[in-house]
Amino acid sequence: MLQHGNDAGRPAPSRRRLLTAMAGAGAAAAAPALLSGCGTAQAKGGRLQFWNFYGPQRSPDPAVNAQSAWFVDMVKQWNATHRTQIDLVYIPQPTYLNGFKLPSAFATGEGPDIFLLSPGDFLRYYNGGVLADLTPHMDKEAVADYGSALDSRRVGDKVYALPMEVEPLAMFYSVPAWEKAGLSEADIPTTWDQMLDIGDKLRSGTRAGLVFETNPGYYQNFTWYPWMWQGGGDVLDERGDVAFDSAATRQALQFWQDAVRHGIAPRTLPAAGDVISGFKAGNVAMWQQGIWQVSSFKAYAPDFPYGVFKNPLPPGGTYRTALGGWSFCANAKGRDPDAAAEFCAWALGSTKDESVDRMVEWCTVAKSDVAPRASALERGAAKGGYDSATMKAFKDDIFPGGVAEPRYPPVVYKAISDAIQGTMLAGRSVAVETERAAESIAAYTRSYKGASLI
Amino acid sequence: MSSVAAPDRTATPASESVRRSRPPGLSRKHREWVAAGLFLAPDVIGLLLFVGIPMVLSVAMSFFQVSGFGSYEWVGLGNYERMMNDPLFWSSMRITGLYVVVLVPVLFCVSLGLGLLVKQKLPGMGAYRTMLFLPYVISLVVVGLLWKFMLDDQVGVVNRAMRAAGFDGRSWLGSPSLALGCVIAVMVWVMMGYYMIIFLAGLQEIPNEYYEAARLDGAGPWTAFRTITWPLLRPTSFFVVLMATVAAITGGLDLVFVLTNGGPANGTALAIFYIYQQAFGFGEYGYAAAMGSFLVLIMVICSAVVFKLTRGGRFDDGE
Repeated sequence: MLQHGNDAGRPAPSRRRLLTAMAGAGAAAAAPALLSGCGTAQAKGGRLQFWNFYGPQRSPDPAVNAQSAWFVDMVKQWNATHRTQIDLVYIPQPTYLNGFKLPSAFATGEGPDIFLLSPGDFLRYYNGGVLADLTPHMDKEAVADYGSALDSRRVGDKVYALPMEVEPLAMFYSVPAWEKAGLSEADIPTTWDQMLDIGDKLRSGTRAGLVFETNPGYYQNFTWYPWMWQGGGDVLDERGDVAFDSAATRQALQFWQDAVRHGIAPRTLPAAGDVISGFKAGNVAMWQQGIWQVSSFKAYAPDFPYGVFKNPLPPGGTYRTALGGWSFCANAKGRDPDAAAEFCAWALGSTKDESVDRMVEWCTVAKSDVAPRASALERGAAKGGYDSATMKAFKDDIFPGGVAEPRYPPVVYKAISDAIQGTMLAGRSVAVETERAAESIAAYTRSYKGASLI
Repeated sequence: MSSVAAPDRTATPASESVRRSRPPGLSRKHREWVAAGLFLAPDVIGLLLFVGIPMVLSVAMSFFQVSGFGSYEWVGLGNYERMMNDPLFWSSMRITGLYVVVLVPVLFCVSLGLGLLVKQKLPGMGAYRTMLFLPYVISLVVVGLLWKFMLDDQVGVVNRAMRAAGFDGRSWLGSPSLALGCVIAVMVWVMMGYYMIIFLAGLQEIPNEYYEAARLDGAGPWTAFRTITWPLLRPTSFFVVLMATVAAITGGLDLVFVLTNGGPANGTALAIFYIYQQAFGFGEYGYAAAMGSFLVLIMVICSAVVFKLTRGGRFDDGE
């Protein structure tokens, strides 16, 4: 409380002193904010930072530890042989994918020097001018070795991201559920109608017959594209014109809508999206998933009997699946873009044995993926990395019909996502949603400025 | 002869001493202002730095197209025009409106009811109060995961209970018609403990003599509530309505993120979720800033309406 009349003998603060004190208080209050603004990706001396969602970390899961060790070993090898030093920065996957850490870092000009990028984000980062050209650091043989795996990471002849893996999608199924329903391998569906029939037989009050991704997001779009492609449809044609409003699109949307409407596919993911738990607990019979689940089964449910099969076809359709996978990128506005780009090429895009072996190790030991380079795929196969029935099926049957994940920017993604969600979960008209999405994409592409969308 | 000592002309009168110790030109009133300013300074500086300046910058950013990679392009009112023509934004505003209109009254009634219940002097009441308050101290992400499992279509405890009772299970988070209701229900579960404590504090301020006098006059519990509790709780009610409204408009992002990710079919995409998605998912910082500024304006209007309707929580006599 303010006391009156007790200030005799104490000098009252002068105006100057008061202003000085207030300025000091202001500076003290501002200091943490200013300092925290500096504590980002490029804070440490001359060392480059490599943001990723694999390591270094410790986990009870041996597969996760192996993946972390792969990153740690790679950076250790680089640091032992190069003047520019690199630090790994681990960011948990949910934060990396959906959090604001990475976008905020780039927005403030403090983005990491090296980072992982998915195809869905490629154009946004490229158009933002933060992807360094990796081509000068690569041999032509290495570029050729990558082949079509680089298609969605190129602009013109220049390579801006190097894939570390190729991840095809397929249908995983539970053998116990299959047997319990009196089904055998001979019943593996080859058409959409068969898959719905079998899903209907396999479902129960606590088990989903057939699971498609239900959460809106890039991943749901990624898992839906193959069904559209199989009917010959696409979002944009070869010239970049909008082709979304087609019979193939409507057919694919109708397929997912029917699966949900008839109760064969659930409206939410079983086991809150935990694939292995869902299968182990008997809550799932079939689930569209990626090759990465092979290593998860190996780590968490090595004895669980499961199988995989190719996406069934619509009438008159051609087999297609989507090929996902992450890439190494170098920040063109980072501390040392040249060294960062050199690192990416050294790690994954060199013709040297160590580079190819590193990819083999990643795709067949640390994880379960198809190697994006022909030489690595061949070497991995020779080393027995694709000998198991599941990996062999992925390599020989599922992967060859694959199409790289598109690199559509957010507006296009969102239009497609709304069409999928609206038809699948809200039961809206397939024709109306297709038309609305096509119009939305067309409006965007008319004013779009940037690298080719396809 | 007695002598009287002549007054020491060098001695300074007390009043003059006080006057001289003051800096010239600074009256008592001014010194009080200075003191008040010094006391307020930390808060004011903090608000300016962490709220005021970011808000001004955010409004400024809304006039630019911001790439998210350091480039700014002046677009004037372009982002606001885009917002006016964006059906998804208006859909998110409609969902937010519905969310606020349902959440605030339900939260108010549940919290007030709980406040009245836990005011009773019963054995173990402290434990009840603690249990009811506990959800509020749990992270919304954890709450979201917890309820996601409980509302699972196949093995969730809610559907299991319904099946055991002879009903069909529902897809609580997978149906657009149910998902928003679930988000509201979970939010009520989280927040009710906090507002219960606020109401409890307000209820304990009401003197018991009023209730005793009413009882002597033959008033029953409902009459006592209507004529004593409700009017005397006005300041507390105002606070709860205002805070719950503001929290409903600007909060819930993390819960929606974990529970439904805005789905199904944008059914739970609150405005704050859509703004976050545009900013950090799509790198549309300028557009998100425009929507954020608009949302703040809506919030100010809502707050003004609450002030107007409740007269700022003042009693009828103006106290």
